[in-house]
Amino acid sequence: MIIAERKPMEEIKQLMSPYKKVLVAGCGTCVTVCWVGGEKEVAVLASQIKLARSADGNEITTLEATVERQCEKEMVTEIKDKVAEVEAVLSLACGSGVQTMAEMFEDKPVFPAVNTTFIGMPEKEGLWVEMCGACGDCFLDRTGGICPIVRCAKGLLNGPCGGTRRGGKCEIDPEKDCAWVLIYRRLEKQGRLDLMREYYSPKNFRAVKRPGKVQAVKA
Amino acid sequence: MESKIGVFLCNCGGVINNIDFDAAVKKVTKFPGVTCVNLSSNLCLEEGREKMISCIREENIERVVATCSPEFNEHIFREVLEKAGLNGHLLSMANIREQCSWAHDGNVTMKAVELVKMAINRVWLLQPIEKKELPVSREVLVVGGGFTAISTALQLSRVGLRTTLLEKEAVLGTRAEELESFYGFDTSAMISSVEGDENVEVLTSAEMTEVVGKIGDFSVRIRKGEEEIFRKYGAIILATGYQTELALAPEPRLRAEEEAIYGINIVSQEQFCSMLRNSSLETQPKTIGFMFDFSDGNSRFPTLATLNNALAAKKKWGSEIYVFYKSVKVDSEGMEKLYQEARNCGVVFIKSDITPRITGESGRVTIEAKDVFLGEDIMVACDVLVAEELYLPGEGTEKLSSLLNIRVDSRSFYQDENVHLYPVTSEKKGIFLIGECRGDLDLGRVLTDISSVVMNVHGLLSLGQIQVEVERVKADPQKCVTCLTCIRVCPHGAIQLIRADNSKEVAGISDLACDACGICAAICPARAIKFQGYRDEEILAQIEAIGESLNGHIVAFCCEHSAYPAADLAGRLRLHYPENLRIIRVPCAGQVDVFHILKAFEHGAATVLVLGCEDGACHHITGNTRAKERVRYCNMLLKEAKVDGRPVAMYNLSPNAPHKFVRAVNEITKIIEEYGR
Repeated sequence: MIIAERKPMEEIKQLMSPYKKVLVAGCGTCVTVCWVGGEKEVAVLASQIKLARSADGNEITTLEATVERQCEKEMVTEIKDKVAEVEAVLSLACGSGVQTMAEMFEDKPVFPAVNTTFIGMPEKEGLWVEMCGACGDCFLDRTGGICPIVRCAKGLLNGPCGGTRRGGKCEIDPEKDCAWVLIYRRLEKQGRLDLMREYYSPKNFRAVKRPGKVQAVKA
Repeated sequence: MESKIGVFLCNCGGVINNIDFDAAVKKVTKFPGVTCVNLSSNLCLEEGREKMISCIREENIERVVATCSPEFNEHIFREVLEKAGLNGHLLSMANIREQCSWAHDGNVTMKAVELVKMAINRVWLLQPIEKKELPVSREVLVVGGGFTAISTALQLSRVGLRTTLLEKEAVLGTRAEELESFYGFDTSAMISSVEGDENVEVLTSAEMTEVVGKIGDFSVRIRKGEEEIFRKYGAIILATGYQTELALAPEPRLRAEEEAIYGINIVSQEQFCSMLRNSSLETQPKTIGFMFDFSDGNSRFPTLATLNNALAAKKKWGSEIYVFYKSVKVDSEGMEKLYQEARNCGVVFIKSDITPRITGESGRVTIEAKDVFLGEDIMVACDVLVAEELYLPGEGTEKLSSLLNIRVDSRSFYQDENVHLYPVTSEKKGIFLIGECRGDLDLGRVLTDISSVVMNVHGLLSLGQIQVEVERVKADPQKCVTCLTCIRVCPHGAIQLIRADNSKEVAGISDLACDACGICAAICPARAIKFQGYRDEEILAQIEAIGESLNGHIVAFCCEHSAYPAADLAGRLRLHYPENLRIIRVPCAGQVDVFHILKAFEHGAATVLVLGCEDGACHHITGNTRAKERVRYCNMLLKEAKVDGRPVAMYNLSPNAPHKFVRAVNEITKIIEEYGR
């Protein structure tokens, strides 16, 4: 799932400063699940902007809408009437959603209200951790299902580094587990420790074509 | 579509004398949707209720606003509505007595009218809640095989409920000997009668391995040896008791060759009991030492055991007895008398502030301590030392608590100090905790627990069905994004994934297990969960009504289990507070949503108060801590928006703390006044 974080109000206020009427647009998928861009956060942000602008003596009107997936053109079209009413759109979706909105409503500026941060999972209620770097060349088969590219602070393919702390913690952040210790323990459980002896040559990140495209094989 | 609203004002037999009711009636009549306004002086009495019913029928009233405190009269007026043929939930109350007339000096007609306006705004939006009978299993599972468990099973059998007694040991009553010697109980008779009871199934050497479901319908997997048993139960009672451990200070250690004296010269209370019962004991101890209350201060049981055993030893052997203690706490029935009796028999009590030093030499145990009263070091050599014991939760408590997802307290006993759960309920409906598994309870308290749980369980299951309110709290399957947040936060374990109409998996809230706190509704990121009566619309309608007539006011969200009754009590005690306070009643502070608070600011509130239960005593366990977190978050958002200088405040108070309520209001008022300057 895509995880995002709300931008600071100061930045959002700056973005909204030329406008008197805006649409706060949420997305009902990933960003709802990570508590940052669903219907609730849309209501909170709309209210907060109004309060902020009112404190500046420069009132703003907000409309609110949340679509199921902002990265789908068909779904975004559902709110075209509301978009028509406003001067600008403030999107709480991930970068993909913001771009879909921007493409669908080319005459309106669409601004991001969140920073899209990573692909991750909830560790517990309200805490999300990064799990996947979308590198385009999955390595998890060799590492017991633990990705060293994002879970190792140095992104080492051949770990651990020399800095592992006591108790299997990372030298850069003692709060975090050393990914390579986790990998070792997992492979040990599976009787596949021989994989630790393999050398993996550096990934050629430059070979990743931008922008990425995935074509389904079946029609 | 507008409903016909009937407003029923009551001057409470003329007690409310600072509201001009004639003027109020005139004003309220003009509000849109109001069909009729009645003034009564005894709305809650039979005469007033009859009049209300006939008015509802004659005028075809569809929704009702009544004035009084909902704490007292909401249920009465709901019944009135039902008698008049309306759904009882189409009622909203305006508390013009405790929270208006009695809380302020001078004429408060305007405020009373505004409170009625708030209730009218809300009543428009209310939706009926139907009731339904749901079947429940009449079988009860009692975990444990001691006195508490056996007595409970016997009493449940007597009221006609079938019970399974689940004991992990091979036999029942392994600790019964202690009871026999302390209280003279014939436990063997109890055990044989429970084994012969046709309403009780005894499963020994067995343990619970899985529990799913909810009150009325728990599915339990039990392992007994190689055998696996599946059963359905309506309720689960934990009576897993306690265990003891010798609490000897690790230093100074006895020398290695003398450690052998454990069990002979240094014994536990239980071992000492069996020495007392042993008529063929070779040598009777001439000098005996006891110790208690040095370790953790939880010394009710050790003290009781010491007093009993010291007296018995004195009577049987006439030994010299020295009791070392930090404090004697005699908070059980008959304990003071027991203590006096021991003193009168010649038992010597030595108070010491520091843990005595224990050493062993030539088969004797030496106890060295500093006598607080003499101010001198004291040394006693004993034949036997009955060492201090720690009372700990029964073996397997941790496993059971994670199996059932029930919290334990700081000492790992079940049920922490939450007044709303006392004495025997847990945060999960249908799971009860009785006896020593809740802490070191004496016999009197255990007996109270047993009666209490039998009454509770009988009330729940005896009819084979429970009446519930249908979908009072519900997740809209269309809006639910299956983020699992509500499942993770529900303090009552009432939410699980369901497949609605064979479509995607969504959050399903059990009407049986839900305790209606609204914590899930406030946290749902998709705003999919609706709590009837406290939906966003209904809360916002009240906030808007306040904003229409006031500016720079204070909105107080008051938990109905604590702050709301505290505010009522403040009124009853005629404790006054500023008139611009407007109270919105909520089922739990954890139901207050960040965006409700922001909306209050948008509608002109100077600030917002969130008032919930005391720390550690939230009726819904985590509601008040969540509220505190949300208030913190809200203040961050307000600061970001440069709405500062008047932060949202959270106070914790109990329902009997009217002064604290008034203090909170006054404190916040002062902050607002200073901000205004």
